[in-house]
Amino acid sequence: MHEKKDPIIFSSYEPREGLFDEVFEDNGSVKSIYKTLFDLYGGHSVNDYENLNNKAKASFFNQGITFQVYDNEQTQEKIFPFDLFPRIIHPLEWEIIEKGAIQRSRALNLFLWDIYHDKKIIKDKVVPLDLLSSSEHYLHQMMHLDPPGKIYNHISGTDLIKHSDGEYYVLEDNIRCPSGVSYVICNRTALKRALFGVFNHYQAHSVTNYAGNLLQILETVIPRGVDNPNCVVISPGRFNSAYYEHSYLAKAMGVELVEGQDLFVENDFVYMKTINGPERVDIIYRRIDDAFIDPLEFRPDSALGVPGLFAAYKKGNVCLANAPGTGVADDKAVYTYMPEIIKYYLDEAPILNNVHTYRCSRPDELKYVLENIDKLVIKPVDEAGGYGISIGNQLTKSEIEKVKATIKEHPRKYIAQPILSLSVHPTYIEEEGSFEQRHVDLRTFTLLGKDKDFVLKGGLTRVALRKGNLIVNSSQGGGSKDTWVLKNEA
Amino acid sequence: MGLKKRSVNMLARVANNLFWMGRYIERSEHIARYLNVNYFSSLDAPHELSQSRQFMLRSTLFMIGDPVNDTDQVLDEEKVLFNTALNQEKDYSIISNIKSARENANSARDLISTGLYEAINRFYHYVLNYDTNFFVKKGLYDFTVHVTEQTAVLRGKIRGSLLHDQVYAIIMLGINIERATQIIRIINAKYHDALLATGSYGDQVAHSFEWTTLLKCIESYDMMRRFYRKTPTSLSTLEFLILNGDCPRSVMNSLNQIYRHMSVLDKAKRPAKDSTSFLVGKLRAEIEFTKVESIECNVQEFIQQILEKLVEISQKMEKEFFNY
Repeated sequence: MHEKKDPIIFSSYEPREGLFDEVFEDNGSVKSIYKTLFDLYGGHSVNDYENLNNKAKASFFNQGITFQVYDNEQTQEKIFPFDLFPRIIHPLEWEIIEKGAIQRSRALNLFLWDIYHDKKIIKDKVVPLDLLSSSEHYLHQMMHLDPPGKIYNHISGTDLIKHSDGEYYVLEDNIRCPSGVSYVICNRTALKRALFGVFNHYQAHSVTNYAGNLLQILETVIPRGVDNPNCVVISPGRFNSAYYEHSYLAKAMGVELVEGQDLFVENDFVYMKTINGPERVDIIYRRIDDAFIDPLEFRPDSALGVPGLFAAYKKGNVCLANAPGTGVADDKAVYTYMPEIIKYYLDEAPILNNVHTYRCSRPDELKYVLENIDKLVIKPVDEAGGYGISIGNQLTKSEIEKVKATIKEHPRKYIAQPILSLSVHPTYIEEEGSFEQRHVDLRTFTLLGKDKDFVLKGGLTRVALRKGNLIVNSSQGGGSKDTWVLKNEA
Repeated sequence: MGLKKRSVNMLARVANNLFWMGRYIERSEHIARYLNVNYFSSLDAPHELSQSRQFMLRSTLFMIGDPVNDTDQVLDEEKVLFNTALNQEKDYSIISNIKSARENANSARDLISTGLYEAINRFYHYVLNYDTNFFVKKGLYDFTVHVTEQTAVLRGKIRGSLLHDQVYAIIMLGINIERATQIIRIINAKYHDALLATGSYGDQVAHSFEWTTLLKCIESYDMMRRFYRKTPTSLSTLEFLILNGDCPRSVMNSLNQIYRHMSVLDKAKRPAKDSTSFLVGKLRAEIEFTKVESIECNVQEFIQQILEKLVEISQKMEKEFFNY
């Protein structure tokens, strides 16, 4: 297939020691689940592959899956980097992930109900009071408020990694406005367009059923007295970096995509402004953060929200998904108590591993952290998007001192975890014209409704594109891969 | 409605965006074709003035609304071509129109089909990546033909992949109001040219070569020949392009469509006196019962009136439907 001058794409793949490679065994042989795939890909020359790669990129541009960057006063459209070599997850491995994700999602929902009602878990001293009282995302407005169907976190994104021991660990739970699900779907579309042949050899679960399930879940939490609910997706608008996702979800659910300016509240009911006058809205999948949803109740300078929305919610006339105030439970300090939280509400052992976490708020653990920074990752408890993370073994001495001082100043704000070695996956590096090892993680998407749940069979495999980098977030230059959950063993 | 869950009216903001998406798509087509037809017919036009590149460039700028009033000014051909087609700084350029069409589609992409959205996107990236230097030196034909063809693809996707409901009606209203407007603008520009370039065939405005160019600018030359079986004159051209309801590129045909799509939005049998429906019906009736002989001696006044009424209809729509 290829000429001699044109090397094949795996010819310069160099496995590094001590890393868990998802595709290759330590002895260099290909893992059985990847064998067929490796044979199919391995035959490509660099030129062939470059061609396919360009096709995939064009597919993203044509699908309009882009974000804007402002550079030298010029706006440029870019696509999120996408890698054509998919990640494969074994059905048995997936079963555990799926069960574990639902378990966490349920436990977090019960936790939220409890802390916004009787606070039993605190009275029983399972978690300390200051865990909540010091959280920025705790909303006193949510106290004693019953969300429709008693559901808070309708949509959860769970971030998992595979450690060098070959086991999955949860890195964090995202239950505010987790994003990325549309990339799961368009990654699949792009891969199919570029390399449809590979799907003849593997039976992967479809990922296009997400939106249908999301709508069903949302329709389990209808406000009282509504038969035929009008569900909408609210977005900050087309300049938001996740706008593609908002519009995709609205379209795939067949519901309207609205902005704050399209809605108004009258007598505690929410309406949208249509060409034929007002029309009532019953369920809102909101992709706007708590602080911005209602300027009368939260940030008064918010132009994205709807004045009076929270009052309508309080009256039970509209359902918001996710509920306001969920942020208190996906904070990294609460994460450290997840095993206890799961045990407390469900009386079960956690299915998915938590990463051992040192809480800087506890004097004994703080002492350990300060003495062992070079072996730890220091994370602020309430930042999203990979911001503010320090990785101990990459810091200079003076940087370590700086980090120490910041932690000492606000110990509650930081946690520390052992430096985990994220597994690596062969990833095509354009500049090198070959495959190299890159660290990956996995975000799964779990839906929770009244008497119904769903986990998307697949997920977003994010890739840290810079060599040696452990941070996979797209805001930090990460890319992604299509992720196949197999129907049966390959 | 059996299985259907609930019908929801479209958002006023989104309706506004889709209306303008339709307008911008249609507008880019007319500009591209005007540029194409005028440039290439000027290359071997029978009349000295018609053949002059300066004349053609002025005509183009006049049509897109950036007229040059100084008769002594010498225009730079490449610059005018660039401004008309690919200069993003000019609001009237083809690229700006396609960009606006796409931005409007973007804010309504949950309502339109994936096929339509991808076609708009592909179109945008084609224009965006078109090499400017190649365009002004060699690519004029290739580029303008591609643009007019892409707009046809978009109309095909609009007609063939959208639900024929309010959303469709709004887009078609945008397309047809823009079409009527552009036809009038092009007639105005070519009428202006015909007055300047008299004497192509027998020193008569009525027999000017510019009428043929005009018909080609509106993609109606062949059908006009088929209909009249004669060389176009001022009278037959105006009759065909303004009054003939069977010509898909006539003001009459556009108004018929506007009227039809309007009825999807406004179901009142007798539209209220201050409604858009009323204005549309009135203008349509006026044109329907106009004879070409009666406009022959005051063409410019007549088309000016139509243009004003189209603006009035568009403004009324904004008040009635897009008020948010």
